[in-house]
Amino acid sequence: MAMMHRRRAWQDRFWAYLVLVALSLFVFLPMLVVFSQSLMTNMEVTRWPPQIVPVNPTLFNYNDVLTRQDLRLDLWLRNSMVAATGHTLAVLVICAPAAYAFARLRFRGSNALFAILLLTIMIPSQVTLIPNYLLMRDLKWLDSFNALIFPGAANVFGVFLLRQFFMQIPQELEEAAVMDGAGYLRRFTQIVLPLSSNALTALAIFVFLGHYNDLFWPFIVTNSLETRTLPVGLTILNSAYGMQYRPMVLAGAVLSTIPILIVYIIFQRRIIQGVTLTGGMGGR
Amino acid sequence: MTGASARPGAGLDWRPAWLPEINLKRREEIAAWLFLTPFLIFFAVFIGRAMFAAVQMSFYDWHALRPSRPFVSFENYEELLRDDVFWFALKNTIVFTAMTVAGTTVVALAAALAVTQPVRQANFFRVLLYMPSLFSVGAVGLIWVWLLNSQFGVINYGLSFFGIRPVNWLGDPALVLPALSLTTIWWAFGFPMLIFIAGLQGIPEHLYEAARIDGANARQLFFNITLPLLRPTILFVTVTGVIGHFQVYGQPFIMTNGGPGRSSYTVIFYFYHTAWASFRMGYGAAVAVALAVIMAVVTVVQFLVISRRVEY
Repeated sequence: MAMMHRRRAWQDRFWAYLVLVALSLFVFLPMLVVFSQSLMTNMEVTRWPPQIVPVNPTLFNYNDVLTRQDLRLDLWLRNSMVAATGHTLAVLVICAPAAYAFARLRFRGSNALFAILLLTIMIPSQVTLIPNYLLMRDLKWLDSFNALIFPGAANVFGVFLLRQFFMQIPQELEEAAVMDGAGYLRRFTQIVLPLSSNALTALAIFVFLGHYNDLFWPFIVTNSLETRTLPVGLTILNSAYGMQYRPMVLAGAVLSTIPILIVYIIFQRRIIQGVTLTGGMGGR
Repeated sequence: MTGASARPGAGLDWRPAWLPEINLKRREEIAAWLFLTPFLIFFAVFIGRAMFAAVQMSFYDWHALRPSRPFVSFENYEELLRDDVFWFALKNTIVFTAMTVAGTTVVALAAALAVTQPVRQANFFRVLLYMPSLFSVGAVGLIWVWLLNSQFGVINYGLSFFGIRPVNWLGDPALVLPALSLTTIWWAFGFPMLIFIAGLQGIPEHLYEAARIDGANARQLFFNITLPLLRPTILFVTVTGVIGHFQVYGQPFIMTNGGPGRSSYTVIFYFYHTAWASFRMGYGAAVAVALAVIMAVVTVVQFLVISRRVEY
């Protein structure tokens, strides 16, 4: 019995390793090839059979992509970082108090209002794009950080997620604070928020990544070279140089992923937990 | 609640003497609305108003460059239903979504099953397999357009070892959607994988033990325990997958520009072109509303198909 069990466990594990190694290669090889070819010259990457290992690795392409007049990877990265950070802060500041009201405070119309908010999650964001674009135009917000930060700051999913989390915090903790004479604001900022760092971090990661990687909205609300974000910039890079200077384009792609990979390697556990928590509670 | 009723809001009394006393319930209600105010302002402007405006605009011939915007009733919708390009884009989008959701779900489930076995370095594998999901669609597009290159791409090089002649992945109308789908599976299977891992960890171990004692093999365990108990997770993964991938835009925008011909032209592409290339905002709003209706119908159908027979 025990031997059979052990054999079965070994078999299960064999299949698991096989699947994991195959999928790891599927995930990793494209990144490796692209990184490797970004260190080659234009001549080397346009050869058949393709070279996988660079003969004379060079950083020329990296230098090239960072110094060309019509590309501003440095600014694009900065814009993406500033916009995504600003947007994430706006979402947290706006959604957390609303979630607290729905989780803890009794007021007339609470359930109806919450139901209306949830209904709007089902409606795809494209519906709001045209009116919001025209609003940005009328406010003269095109080409500015405002257009990247504020629309979408009322994140209904964020309210939903935080409300679920706040409701799990024992009410007794707040009651103790009431005994000490704390008002709603103090109960929220000094008891509920500090106990919710997991949920707040999860939401922050989720919102930040979604915004950092968004293409459509920044594409339509920015139009000068200096105000583009990284994903939009990469499409510019590709359409301008994709044909002639492929290794330089690959270098641009590699550079664009480095900041996010550094953050990922440092906070991998938190990020994976965060994605699972936000996903498990609602959607992407 | 005893504390709250014993000393109602003690120490909280910021009320100046000339203001009438507000009772506790009223105070709670005022606090609630104050907490909600910032959110409600942003919601009203960017979601509520925008949705109403979109529906309203869809009944007008609203051209960005023309001052007169006549009411045209359902003409935008009628034009949409008659437009072959829209139907073509819709067909492409459905084909792409079906392939991509099926692919990501299968790959994600396989990865989740493997990583929840007692393997060494499970966390390493999880971190590695989730990595592509962090990339922007821009980086993913740049990577894969080159890998899939017909002349110099390493995918064709790899296939040449199996005697397969160079394939024009992104230039062949029959292959461009599968190629974009493969790209997207690579990029996006990490999220459903994490959801499946959480779902698998929620299945009680004693169910497997009981079945093993009854002599069930791995196949039977999977089809009789894992899969049925994972049904809500599968529902969630496929519904969010369909909603997400139906809105595909970045991959064809970067990799094929909708081509060859219109073979990878999608609904969001069409939406973009009507509103921001032809400046027909009213017509574009009608496209967006139609998209919302289509997605609502698809979601309901999915719920009906997957959630029937959920008794355990």
